[in-house]
Amino acid sequence: MSRYESFRRPALQKTNMKKLLVSTGSQKIYSPMTIVVCGIAKMFVGELVETARFVMKERKESGPTRPCHSREAYRRLKLEGKVPKRSVTKALSVDGTQAHIW
Amino acid sequence: MNNSSTGSSSKSKAGSSSQPSETSFKRKRGLFQKDLQHMMYGFGDDPNPLPETVALVEDIVVEYVTDMAHKAQEIGSKRGKLSVEDFLFLIRKDPPKLNRCTELLSMQEELKQARKAFEVDEEKLASTE
Repeated sequence: MSRYESFRRPALQKTNMKKLLVSTGSQKIYSPMTIVVCGIAKMFVGELVETARFVMKERKESGPTRPCHSREAYRRLKLEGKVPKRSVTKALSVDGTQAHIW
Repeated sequence: MNNSSTGSSSKSKAGSSSQPSETSFKRKRGLFQKDLQHMMYGFGDDPNPLPETVALVEDIVVEYVTDMAHKAQEIGSKRGKLSVEDFLFLIRKDPPKLNRCTELLSMQEELKQARKAFEVDEEKLASTE
């Protein structure tokens, strides 16, 4: 039951999320946007932790999740395309065009 | 001097938005740490997750949110300003997230309506007295 509580109740703080969004350079952040981003981020954390636990099961390890599991989980999520890749504005191709990857 | 996002943390006011680099910005470490620990337990981790794991997850999430925000900004700039639809467009390929977001937005609307109705009732009470 306490695990269910820990699943439902925590949420990433809206104030901190707003600071983060503002620091990315967006001019105006409306409060519905902050709420949506908090929801998306929470689900992303869930995917990360689930995949990390899956990795642990595969490697037949137990105990608290270690950073190596999280890194492997992140790599797998990237392969599945669930993580936005940065648009390659810093690495221009040979003919000088920018490539956008999604 | 820009710190790498996984490097040392520097405690400065998060309101300093004059960062030229988009890969790193000054922020307090442990921005979401307390909530993240409970959240990770709720999603299947140990009741006491390792602090290194929590820090790594926080870094990953911050990078994720930043990348999403930049992409949304790119999409929104064509229209002029950033809006919720831009974020929804970004997660269109992820049904669970999309459903959760639509649910959150509709709940928000409901709460707004409920609050409005509550205020109207109060006014009625005040006028009848």
